[in-house]
Amino acid sequence: MTTASNLLAFLGLVVTLLIVWRQSWPARLRLFVAQSLLLAALASTIGVLAHRRGLLLVAAVLAVVKGWVIPRVLARIASGDPVRPVAPGRSSGIALLVAGGLVVAAYVIMLPVTAAAELPTEGAIPLAFAMALIGLSLCVTGRDALGHILGFLVFENGIFGLAILATYGLPGIVEAGVFLDVLVIVLIMEAVVVQVRREHDSIDVDRLNELRG
Amino acid sequence: MMLGALLATPLVGALLLWRAVGRVATALHALTATLTLAGALAVSVTVNRGDPLVALDGFLRADALSAWMIALIGIVGALAASEAPRYVAPAAPGRFYLLFHLFIFTMLLAVSTDDVGLMWVAVEGTTLASVFLVNFERTRASLEASYKYLLICSVGIAIAFLGTVLVYFAGIQQFGDEAHALRWTTLLRLAPGLAPRVIELAFVFLVIGYGTKAGLAPMHTWLPDAHSEAPAPVSALMSGVLLSVGVYAILRFKPAVDAAAGAGFARGILLALGLLSVAVAAAFLWTSSNYKRMLAYSSVEHIGLVCLGLGFGGRLGTAGALLHIANHALAKSLVFLLSGRIRSAYGSAEIAAVGGLMRHMPRTGAGFLATMLALVGLPPFGLFVSEVMIFGAGFTQGFPAVAGAALVLLVVAFAGLLRSAHTMLYGTPPREPAAEAPGWRPALPVAVALLMLLFTGLAWPPGLGDALDRIVAIVVP
Repeated sequence: MTTASNLLAFLGLVVTLLIVWRQSWPARLRLFVAQSLLLAALASTIGVLAHRRGLLLVAAVLAVVKGWVIPRVLARIASGDPVRPVAPGRSSGIALLVAGGLVVAAYVIMLPVTAAAELPTEGAIPLAFAMALIGLSLCVTGRDALGHILGFLVFENGIFGLAILATYGLPGIVEAGVFLDVLVIVLIMEAVVVQVRREHDSIDVDRLNELRG
Repeated sequence: MMLGALLATPLVGALLLWRAVGRVATALHALTATLTLAGALAVSVTVNRGDPLVALDGFLRADALSAWMIALIGIVGALAASEAPRYVAPAAPGRFYLLFHLFIFTMLLAVSTDDVGLMWVAVEGTTLASVFLVNFERTRASLEASYKYLLICSVGIAIAFLGTVLVYFAGIQQFGDEAHALRWTTLLRLAPGLAPRVIELAFVFLVIGYGTKAGLAPMHTWLPDAHSEAPAPVSALMSGVLLSVGVYAILRFKPAVDAAAGAGFARGILLALGLLSVAVAAAFLWTSSNYKRMLAYSSVEHIGLVCLGLGFGGRLGTAGALLHIANHALAKSLVFLLSGRIRSAYGSAEIAAVGGLMRHMPRTGAGFLATMLALVGLPPFGLFVSEVMIFGAGFTQGFPAVAGAALVLLVVAFAGLLRSAHTMLYGTPPREPAAEAPGWRPALPVAVALLMLLFTGLAWPPGLGDALDRIVAIVVP
């Protein structure tokens, strides 16, 4: 179980770093799908090895909601926008460097948790937290609404991975609430983005700057 | 049973209001708000006379702390509901009323469950229910406000989820009691044995997360936008009780954190964030040119004071903080309702565009003046009493420096708020406002709220002190 969870969480982190690196939106969306499916694999692996039937259901819902429904909604949001050319001269080097720093930070912050854990999966906990931190940084530095949503979803995936690794699944109602929550957030985001586009002819949130002070 | 009925009322009302139009919608809305208020008061009286109410196998549970919040949500909800028909298009009122009552339902659920996981779901639900209410006027500014609100609060609440996961992790690592490890009652019982470092880390995440919802600086950035762009009844609900629900969530974890990690840890965080919030608010109260934004920053200030009270702790500090939550809920929801009337009369939310309130709208102006005096903490209103309790706790519990600094900032905020209020009340307006509505009806909610503020300021009604004592016994065991 240690090997499997470490491997899957490590792959998840690699995919997260690739999201930071890639600039083109379709590629980032595909990477997000890959990350969600890796998480579903992680959940089902732990579900089988630790004999938690509930986690198999969670994995299935995860694969459907985050691997299929949400990416479709995101693609729908993006389809209305003219393909944004990759900004010239903007390299991913610094962003990747920051992400690397966040991985180190994740290990430091999670020290109390790994110290208290007596689980075969404890080694992977900081990896999941690193995913969350990188997602948060993507969300904060995102330059348009899609960037914000993607960052938020990566962040959410990281926290979800951490929850699976540290607790082998939360009580059912909370898991259900989390899925419903993410889905509704993305749908509301879509409604808001549609309106932003109508008002501003763009989803560049730099134009949302009327409220100050 | 009673608790279930209380929660079912706004939920059923919201669903029925979905398709309702015209007078039916208004009547149904009024009925739902009245029944919710009656249920809330009944629950809080019952809880304060006897034992906590429990339903659904302990899943729903209301103790004295919940009862306090339930009563506030009921009262502020009724105040806001009385003003809502002014803002609703008669042709299609359904969506506004639907979301309005759903919003109240999610807040009631957040404070009346024993399960901190469900509490998290409900607090997140408050964001989802209210985001379209913020954007109800569909202007560019309100769109921007709702976007920021959704994004910032969703990230914040996800951080709170991380904190909840860590609390659960600490619980099952230590005891393996998985079925109820997310129950607050279980958590409190197990707390002394939980891994202190993990609980500290969890509390940091919880404070950042729920603190975002509570509007604590530096996570408050969504708040002035959302509060100023939402229609007045929604601003009243958000400022009056939604922020306090965020504080409530933090407060639920505090006794467990105190037991696991010692009293100093939570106290330090609460004092630092409380002081920072008061400082940020004091600065922005001087620079806001929009009066709804100004009132929003005043909320940041008061939530900061509540946090200071909770941080100072002890009987006096905790009771003062809880009383301050109630006083602020009454005063701030009232002043937001009045500001909505002012805005529709003058057609602007800029302080510079409003003047001569006392001359042109004498009744609204008088209400606004009284509420502003209450908000800055002058006697005979309740906020004076609760602020004295909070600062009294600060000086007696051994934090004279923090209390002194907060007191100085409070004076700065006081002056900033009164300066703008003076411009609005006595200045000369650039253009004449519309006449205010005649009759006793518009005055009724104002009179009721001011009367309650006088009660908490001058003569506590029977049971109020007892209710505060019961809460203190829960929070400071």
